[in-house]
Formats: sequence, C-alpha cells, structure tokens
Amino acid sequence: MGEVKGSLGRVETAFSKLAARPPALGGWGLNGVFTRYLDQGSKQLTLLHGELGSATTLTDAASEIGDTDMELGLLRMAGPKLQAALFGTLLLATWVDFLHLADAVLRHCPMCSVEKLFVDLHRVQGMMEPTLMDLASHDPERVEAAATAMPELMGKLTHEFNTLHQETRSTMKLGGQVIAAMQAMEMVTLISTLKMSLPRVPPSAPATLGVGLVMSSGGVMVGSRMVVSAEWVEMMRRLVHAGVISVPAVSAAVLIHGGQVMMAQAPQDLPRGVRDALGDGPEVRGMHETGRAGAGMPDAPKHHVLPQEHREWFELRGFKGAMDIDQFCVRLEQSHHEAIHGGGNWKLGRTWPGEWNRMIMEVLREAEVEAGRMLTRNEILKEAAKRMRDYRIPMSFTPGRGR
Amino acid sequence: MSGGEAWRGNIRARLYERVRARGHDSLTAFADARPAVPLYALADELGGDDVAAVQVLSALLYEAEQRKQVTRFVRDVLVRELSERFPKGWPAMLDDAIRGEVAMALGSWSAYTPDTHKERVRQARAALRASPPPPGWRPLGPDDELLRTILPDEEA
Repeated sequence: MGEVKGSLGRVETAFSKLAARPPALGGWGLNGVFTRYLDQGSKQLTLLHGELGSATTLTDAASEIGDTDMELGLLRMAGPKLQAALFGTLLLATWVDFLHLADAVLRHCPMCSVEKLFVDLHRVQGMMEPTLMDLASHDPERVEAAATAMPELMGKLTHEFNTLHQETRSTMKLGGQVIAAMQAMEMVTLISTLKMSLPRVPPSAPATLGVGLVMSSGGVMVGSRMVVSAEWVEMMRRLVHAGVISVPAVSAAVLIHGGQVMMAQAPQDLPRGVRDALGDGPEVRGMHETGRAGAGMPDAPKHHVLPQEHREWFELRGFKGAMDIDQFCVRLEQSHHEAIHGGGNWKLGRTWPGEWNRMIMEVLREAEVEAGRMLTRNEILKEAAKRMRDYRIPMSFTPGRGR
Repeated sequence: MSGGEAWRGNIRARLYERVRARGHDSLTAFADARPAVPLYALADELGGDDVAAVQVLSALLYEAEQRKQVTRFVRDVLVRELSERFPKGWPAMLDDAIRGEVAMALGSWSAYTPDTHKERVRQARAALRASPPPPGWRPLGPDDELLRTILPDEEA
C-alpha cells in the first residue's frame, strides 16, 4: 500500500515537473494562420495540468482515509488521470516537434509552400484530436482505449513527420539552399521526440529494448522522453499490481519509447521478459479488470454511491472538484442495483427496508446528531467504504454524470 | 469479482444452506455461537463473496420477528457494530476523531435498526450520551447488563 502510494507520488512529481516547464511556444515565426496550432499546444498543457492536479488531490485524500479498500479505490481513480497525463505529455511533445519543424520550414525555406504546411499541420492535428478528446474525457474506459491505441497513432505521426521532413529537404535541395538552413532542419530532427520512433533497425528492436531495460538508469523522464529504467519498471510493476494503471497502457508507453511503433505489432505484443518485469500475468490482468469496473460488465449502468439527491449536503462537506460525488460511481448489474434499492425478495425481515440511499443518509445524519458537528469528507468516505462492504458493492469507482 | 455474486440466485436458499452446512438450523443459532463477531465477518464465513452482511442482518431480523425477540436483535446489532470499531472496548473520549467514530457507530446502529424500534434506539442513544459507559466497556452479547438497562426487552 505504502509502496503504491510512493510510486504514484513519484510518477506524479515527475510529470508535474515536466508540465511546469512549458515548452517555449512563443517567439517563433509561426503567426497569422498558424497561431491556432500554437493554441492547440496550450490547450494540451492545460489538460495535463488539470489531470495531474486531480490525481494529486486523490492521492492526498487516499493517504488520510484509514480504510485500505477505500484508499485503493481512490488510488485507482487516480490511475486513469495519470495515464491521460502520460500520453498527453507524449502527444504534447510530439506536437511541439511538429511546430519546431514548421517553424524551421517557414524561416529557412522560402521555396516551401506555406499552404501545404498549413494543410499538413491541420491533418496531423486531426489525427491527434480524437485521442486528446478521449484522454480529456475523464472516462476510464475511453482513456484506456486511447492509451492502447497510442502506439499506432505514434507510428502514423512519425510517418507524417518523416514525410514532411523529407519533402522539405528535397524542396530545399531543389532551391539550392545554403547549408545553414539544412542544418537547422537537421537540428529539429535531432531533438525530436519522434527520433526514437523514426525507423531504425526494426528487426533488432525487441532485443535492444530488453537490454535497454536493464542497462539504462535515471529518472522517469529525461527532457521530453521517457527513459525506461529498471527503477521505472519497478514503479510501474507496483502500480499495475495494485490495479492503479493497466498493463496495456504501460505496454503502449514502452512500445512507443522502445521505438517499435513502426512495426506492425499488436499493442500488447511486448517481449516476454518485459511483460514479466512489469508483473504481467493472467491474475494481474484479471485483477485490473475487476479493479476497474467489475469484470465482464463494462457496459453496466453507473450509479452514485453518495446519493445525488443530497448533492449540496455532500458539497458542504468537501465533495467538490476531483472529489465530487459524480466521481464516486460504481457499475452494478441490474439485479444488484435493484436489490440494494429495495427490490428483490432478499429482505426476509419485514421492518427493515435496507434501501441504500435511505440507509447511508441515515447513518451520516444520525452520526452528525451524535457528534454535534459536521462530518468530514474522510469520515464520510471511510463510512461509505464499510457500508459498501456490507452490500458487497465493489470498490471500483468510475466517474458518472449528475442528473 | 464484481460483487454481483451475492445478489444472484436464490439468496435465502443459499443463506440457509450455508448455515446448515455449519451445523445450525437457524441463523440466530449460528450468530449466537459467534457472539460479538461483526456482521461482515459472519457474512464472510458464510459465503466469502456471495453472501452480504445486510442479507445476514435481514435474515436475523426475520427470525427475531418470528420469535418476538426483535429488541434483543437490536441490542445484538450494536454489540457487533461496537466490537468491529472498538475491539478493546468503549474508548476514552480523547479527541474529536474518536468522538466521530463513536458517532458513526451509533448512527449505523440507528440505520440498521428496523422501523419499529428506531424511536427506542433514539432514546437509548440519548441515555448513552447522558451517562456514557466507562472506558473499556465491551458488551459480549445482547444480554449485556448495561445494554439491557438502556434498551430493555418489552416483548416478554
């Protein structure tokens, strides 16, 4: 438990540092019609800050609850936000690369067509947009799907980048550009995030990745790229084990950074050794499934654990923002849902209705009468955890909509 | 595990089949043989994943209704609630957090009490507030003397 929290905290810190260092988006030759592309970058940065902020709120809250199940439940809520931040960071870095390239083209290649560059960037933006929407959706399932599809997207983006680069190069050659301009182009390519995924020697890649895992050390992120170090793998292994983040998502990150995106591989096709290092296995995968939304019922309807008829009551006690009662929804099978709201024939005793909303509100209100004060958010969460246990409601929260 | 196992199938049949398998012919007898064991622990012993604590609660109430021993059942609910939260007995009211935990125990008691007895439990709670039990008080069953003072049988 402590280890999970520690790992989560460190990942958060690493990302926060990264996000706090906004890439220099100003002072470029990009203006006029290209301003919108700069705005795109700023938008992504805002998304990252939001996700990290709420992930931190959840981790902080988890450390104060004092109920193991609820703590894990809260940490699992932070998982999708971290995944969104992880892949958001990657997309942002990639986008900045495109902007660098566009900048260099505009400055140094008068022969190149501005219109074509505009259209090219527009196309790239269009490719990134759906993934960004998914990442920003706060919906664990959509974040997961977006993460799993990232290697493929990165492959496409790499291809675009490469094409744009090659085209510009040949245009420059045709125009007989001076060497300095060529060098500016090459510089851009050299510092690019995509360099890792630009075609290298694909066949040997898995072996290289395996070696890299053991050999490289250092932090999670260096510059705009992730170093897959032994320490990083260990942290990921813990988070995967606790069901906080998913193996497919981690695999996607490793694949992208391992430069394998150009290979026509299934997203989960990591080398065996890497999967082992991440602690992957049927039982872990199964646990993650159940940890997330309840196995086998990803489409079951979501229900508020803290009754939304009493939204204001909970707001007054600190359920706001990342801790809004809409964040605490669970997916339940219909029979389960009906039963806890007073349906079915399980209630043998006639005089105790056992209806969830009425029950939980009575516990909380009577406790306030007893204590002579308002309950705190943590007290309420800890109590909700106990009652969820009594009703066998799984401690896997997913955000839902308020009415 | 989705938590749904406990709510599928014939809940009542499953409950009594497990009780019989453990050598008792009623849930009350099963529970009496495990005094001051929290409800969730009774449920775990009966089913692991497919029996819920509130199902045990409701079935115990049903049997108490049949035997006209609902007040005794209500005292038993408090005993199990307290033993879960305060295994070492009634706490000294040292700080606000402990007062909050006591408040939750008593709030839960009210919520798990049948409608017919809610008013009497309210009065019993007032009595506890007026003269709190000594620190370390640990009722071991529904026949605890202090408990019978604040919530005496009336069916008998």
